Amino acid sequence: MGLFGLHYKLERKTMSLAIGIIIAASIGGLIEIVPLFTIHQTVEDAPDMRVYTPLEIAGRNIYIREGCYACHSQMIRTLRDEVERYGPYSLAVESKYDHPMLWGSKRTGPDIARLGGKYSDEWHVKHLINPRDVVPESVMPPYAYLTRAKARIDDLGLHLTALRKVGVPYTDEMIANASNDAYGQTSPDTPFAEGVTKRYGEATNVRAFDGQPGEPTEMDALVAYLQILGKLTDAAHKAKTAAAGE
Amino acid sequence: MEHEATVWFAKSFGLFYLIAMSVGVVVYAYWPKNKTSFDFAAQSILDPSVEDKPYEAKRWQ
Amino acid sequence: MIAQLTKSERQLALIILLVLTICGLAMAIAGRQDPLGVHGAIVMLAGIAGIFGVIYVYYEPEPDEARLALYYDDPTKLAIILAMIWAVIGMFIGDWVAWQLVFPNLTFDAGWSSFGRIRPAHTSAVIFGFGGNGLIGTSLYVLQRTSRARLPDQISPWFVLLGYNLFCLLAATGYLMGVTQSKEYAEPEWYADLLLEIVWVVYFVIYMRTLARRKEPHIYVANWYYMAFILVVAILHTVNNLAMPVSFGHAKSYSAFSGVQDAMTQWWYGHNAVAFFLTSGFLGMMYYYLPVRAGRPIYSYRMSIISFWGITFMYMWVGSHHLHYTALPQWVQTLGMTFSLMLLIPSWGSAGNALLTLNGAWYKVRDDATLRFMMVAAVFYGLTTFEGSFMAIRSVNSLSHYTDWTVGHVHAGALGWVAMITFGSIYASVPWLWKRERMYSPALVEWHFWLAVAGLFTYVFAMWNSGIIQGLMWRTYNSSGTLSYSFIETVIAMKPYYVARAVGGFFFFAGAVIGLYNIVMTIRTAGQPADERAADRPVAQPAGVPALQPGE
Repeated sequence: MGLFGLHYKLERKTMSLAIGIIIAASIGGLIEIVPLFTIHQTVEDAPDMRVYTPLEIAGRNIYIREGCYACHSQMIRTLRDEVERYGPYSLAVESKYDHPMLWGSKRTGPDIARLGGKYSDEWHVKHLINPRDVVPESVMPPYAYLTRAKARIDDLGLHLTALRKVGVPYTDEMIANASNDAYGQTSPDTPFAEGVTKRYGEATNVRAFDGQPGEPTEMDALVAYLQILGKLTDAAHKAKTAAAGE
Repeated sequence: MEHEATVWFAKSFGLFYLIAMSVGVVVYAYWPKNKTSFDFAAQSILDPSVEDKPYEAKRWQ
Repeated sequence: MIAQLTKSERQLALIILLVLTICGLAMAIAGRQDPLGVHGAIVMLAGIAGIFGVIYVYYEPEPDEARLALYYDDPTKLAIILAMIWAVIGMFIGDWVAWQLVFPNLTFDAGWSSFGRIRPAHTSAVIFGFGGNGLIGTSLYVLQRTSRARLPDQISPWFVLLGYNLFCLLAATGYLMGVTQSKEYAEPEWYADLLLEIVWVVYFVIYMRTLARRKEPHIYVANWYYMAFILVVAILHTVNNLAMPVSFGHAKSYSAFSGVQDAMTQWWYGHNAVAFFLTSGFLGMMYYYLPVRAGRPIYSYRMSIISFWGITFMYMWVGSHHLHYTALPQWVQTLGMTFSLMLLIPSWGSAGNALLTLNGAWYKVRDDATLRFMMVAAVFYGLTTFEGSFMAIRSVNSLSHYTDWTVGHVHAGALGWVAMITFGSIYASVPWLWKRERMYSPALVEWHFWLAVAGLFTYVFAMWNSGIIQGLMWRTYNSSGTLSYSFIETVIAMKPYYVARAVGGFFFFAGAVIGLYNIVMTIRTAGQPADERAADRPVAQPAGVPALQPGE
């Protein structure tokens, strides 16, 4: 049938256009991205790097939920003024456990890649409740409701399991104790606190971040996360060698 | 996969790919035989004699 | 509209809606302790509402066979109305967000209304809600006219349009509840992404099936752009959204990538969303509506093809210019910058092509606000792509990145190019689709045009100023070699520009409201009397206007 032949020809032209588009469009991305997945061969590893604690993961998820990344970057560029303003420039290895990364694209507020330890917990809590109590000209929204909301910690084991599936080295023990560790990190005087330092290191912050020990609030979780920013490894501070690797 | 090798491939192959692609597209666009269908296509959306209907209703399905 | 479906199509619709309802129910049960449950309920309600809608007309007589001799425009009509509704919603939220930077307590002490949650609601509502519906609606219109073939069936276009809007609804409501992947312009979580994936495949199939029955062997170039939009968005969406859900009862998922790979994947996606969603698709719109409205063929068809392959090929490389001076390897940054500069060639090819098409028809541009929308779009397309290439240069980027300059650039593109070409195309198609002689009020089209232009310029100039000033302040040193300004001083300096931006945004929003009103009134005012036809087109010659069929 002539008609059938015609159909076939037309169909083939459409198909080749579609395939042409796919080829033209996808090779560029592949060529550029594939080498990045072999980058670990050249970038110096940070052996002291630790994973986020369950409470910090909960805090990080609140940071994502509230869209903090829309105004705060976590990526100090290799520019003199940035290093002087914010601290040593960010290394690739520092965000290797960040699923997803939160480098950000806009600084309506300052970069916070090295925020950890810069201010007290009390400052953070006050600032989050009403930023203008601490910085009168701030344009940041108030987050007072975080102090009232209990953090959901019962499912943190599932979160850690999901993270392990995408490559973060959480141990079975960490996963099994996730909820207890989240509780323990804000309750320094309970038996649960010991497990946190045992599994995540002596340097882990174990304290009542919002001033009240026990049941962690969302404020606890968020402040715990903010206080660990830039603190998971020392690599950036002794960066000369790592920078040469690029 | 070796990092060095993939980077080398990205840097060299990408260039040739770009050049080949550009040449191919320009050749296609200026191929004399294609001019008629291009001109026809450019005019086709403006043709006042064309009714705002499918050209052959029976072919549906 | 549903009554146009045949019996078997009504049955198929019921099956699809039933499946949707069951999925919603499953989500609601599995996610009862989670925002996922709320979304399950929304999905379920959408399904049930659809079932009632179909049952209501189920026993109506089947549609006439004569419909097959006409184009199927009902989905396009709804898409245009939805696009305008999303525009009004999205721009309202956008202006609200802008005012929050002036008055930070405009959150009213609630979580859902804080900047970080409604900002993605703004971006998604305008990009996906307004832009996406505009693209779906116009693409189905253009596809049928240029192929001179009717859509292959009456179910799949509805599936695409309604499924897509369900995705938009899940996205927007999700952000307000804090459901987000945090990847800019890819914020919706895994289940919404899956829905979009299915919708997108069906969209592509519609395109292929209709094109396969086209009249002429050559495929009109607008369809190339629309196809690149559909295909590449599918690739980008699939790769960037690879993620591991916490469980089937959690909305939350974790990205498959981390750190530097995640950053590169995200901005490969992010910039190509600009390329293939906000550029390629709208170029498809431009290559049809601008020549038709101007009554002149495109200036150079060859140039449109060269530009097409240039854009399709080169955009893919440029994403890394979002990551200058970061932990991304430098060779990737340089590659991104180089391709960004080369990209100017195809971009200006398209912009120039559009403006040269208008050469010789400037009197029409003067008299016809609809054509003027398209002209401004082409100008801003040229300006924005030049600015984009410029900002991709590493040293320029060191100043512009992280500042409002980027925001200004994006809005020059989004307001000046995307919104303008969409409004122009919508104003052109509404009278054609609803068989009216012209828009309800040409004067209101003029009002919309001038409000949009005023808003656009106010916004963009404010952001250029604030961005460059803040960028310079961050890097200013005093005579003793230390930084001159604390961060908060640079925030204080932004205040007047934030006010100006919010005012400009309001103008643009007001224009969109007028546009929606004008379109609704055009639809409701049937059969304008002949002697009152003050045509909104400059010349009443038939050339270029698809024949109207009075009395239908």
